[in-house]
Amino acid sequence: MERHVLRARVGKRLGEFELDVDLAARNELLVLFGPSGSGKSITLRAVAGLVTPDAGRIAIGETVVFDHDRGVRAPARERPVAWVPQGYSLFPHMTARQNIGFGMPRRMDAGDRIDMLLALLGLDGLGGRYPRTLSGGQQQRVALARALARNADVLLLDEPFSALDEALRAGLRDELLRLRRELGLTIVFVTHDLREAHLLADRLAVLDEGRILQIGERDDVFRRPASRRVAELTGVQNLLAASQVDYSDGRATVDADGVRLVCGSIAPGAYEAARVVAGIRAERVNLRRIQDGAEENHVRGWITGEWAYGNTHTLRFAPTGPGPELMVEIASRPYEVLHVAEQREWLLELPPEDLHLMPA
Amino acid sequence: MSPGAVDVDALRVSAQVMVLATLLCLVPGTALAWAIARSGKNTAALLSSLALLPLVLPPSAVGYYLLYAFGRQSAFGNFLIDDLGLRLVFTWPGAAIAAAVVSLPLFVRTAQAGFEQIDPELLAVASTMASPVRSFFAVALPLAWPALAAATLIAAARSLGEFGATVIIAGSVPGETQTVPAAIYDAVQAGDRPRANALAFVSMVLGLIFLAALSLVLQRQRHR
Repeated sequence: MERHVLRARVGKRLGEFELDVDLAARNELLVLFGPSGSGKSITLRAVAGLVTPDAGRIAIGETVVFDHDRGVRAPARERPVAWVPQGYSLFPHMTARQNIGFGMPRRMDAGDRIDMLLALLGLDGLGGRYPRTLSGGQQQRVALARALARNADVLLLDEPFSALDEALRAGLRDELLRLRRELGLTIVFVTHDLREAHLLADRLAVLDEGRILQIGERDDVFRRPASRRVAELTGVQNLLAASQVDYSDGRATVDADGVRLVCGSIAPGAYEAARVVAGIRAERVNLRRIQDGAEENHVRGWITGEWAYGNTHTLRFAPTGPGPELMVEIASRPYEVLHVAEQREWLLELPPEDLHLMPA
Repeated sequence: MSPGAVDVDALRVSAQVMVLATLLCLVPGTALAWAIARSGKNTAALLSSLALLPLVLPPSAVGYYLLYAFGRQSAFGNFLIDDLGLRLVFTWPGAAIAAAVVSLPLFVRTAQAGFEQIDPELLAVASTMASPVRSFFAVALPLAWPALAAATLIAAARSLGEFGATVIIAGSVPGETQTVPAAIYDAVQAGDRPRANALAFVSMVLGLIFLAALSLVLQRQRHR
């Protein structure tokens, strides 16, 4: 197993809650995902050396940069990390070149390295410009170049694209993935944007109120949330209160509002939990034409609410017989082909492999 | 000695006092302002009170304390005179020190506001890349310079007008320690209305020039 490039245990008393996170990353893009105020940015700042935790230990590679018990606390500038704050924070009185060069050791080849970084980030010819004369996207590239110039082992990015419009964001995300591939960087990326988290993450840590609720491979976290809260935060729209659990062969059979549901996956904590929920993403629910015979994992319902997002439609179904209320997301094309606009009552199929049982 | 010559002397002494006092404000004033802007609430409050003390003291009280400190009555004064050969009482540099002490609070307040206006994230980024000294000179100082320029102008204007503290420590010897404000006082005491008028008018013109320069600097600050 590869050595961790970053290993951080951070405890800190904050106003409303206690920050207590433990994370590790190695040659990957780790996304810290969570609602605003969940402790993502402060975790990043602790690693960067801008806030001092009350407890814990932070190591980058072999270097321990913080150890509360041993009184180790390396100053921010001596840590092999590069931090990019949310608003880029370019020095307004310096040109792009001077900004990039600011954190570089003054060596013979500093100029060449700046040229290389300008080229790497598609900023050729803009080196002499002041930040206020650059577009938002260009400013973000300069901020990235300035961070890369530090030649740090870990890149810490705090919602770097949040101030940009969607078209620019897409381009910069691609750019970041390319840089990560080309330079083999370890990146910790903070975001509260679910789509961004999914697009970028190799691994994903879900934070809430100062704690990591779940950390793991991206698909694992998205498909098998460890708890109801993780499911909520990662956008699972259908969370069905379930009872009468019956386990066999790694499957669970539950009752949700009078309908029997077979869940194909079970979060480890579900077995001993007093209360459980069955979760399924809105886009995983299938529409079927009404037919007789109540099958397992089927709920009959009719549409009581509808939201058109352009390329998808979100439908809210109220059960016409037993069963829970359900949200269903369907792409615009099948929506038209199936004449959902006219046909309002459907049989909803909840495929067992997409139904995930977890502690409530 | 014609009255005109005395007035030119008063202007010269005032100019000397102003320049030296302003120079004396620069380093401690900037350092204090930076320390106040960057330290925690309690330390900032303590430093701030210290820096503002001369503002609430009567200038004559400041002058009295300095007279004591620089004169023969105190060990420090004896040390200055005997060991360093620095005679400050009844000299214009003494007046400049008094003017500097009185002007310092205005310098610090103005400079501090400039440092506090800097986006803290910029200083945070700088601290992840460079030493505190380099961050200060390469980032904080250039970003706060309009405020520092304004602080310098305000301190200069204040030292030019300083009367109470300077007259106590330096007296009012024409041609040597008599500044324009001291000369006005003398002229009024002597009932020399034309001279008082002339000096007061010169003071007003100088004051207006300072204010014009100040508003130019502040305009630049807004445009950044």
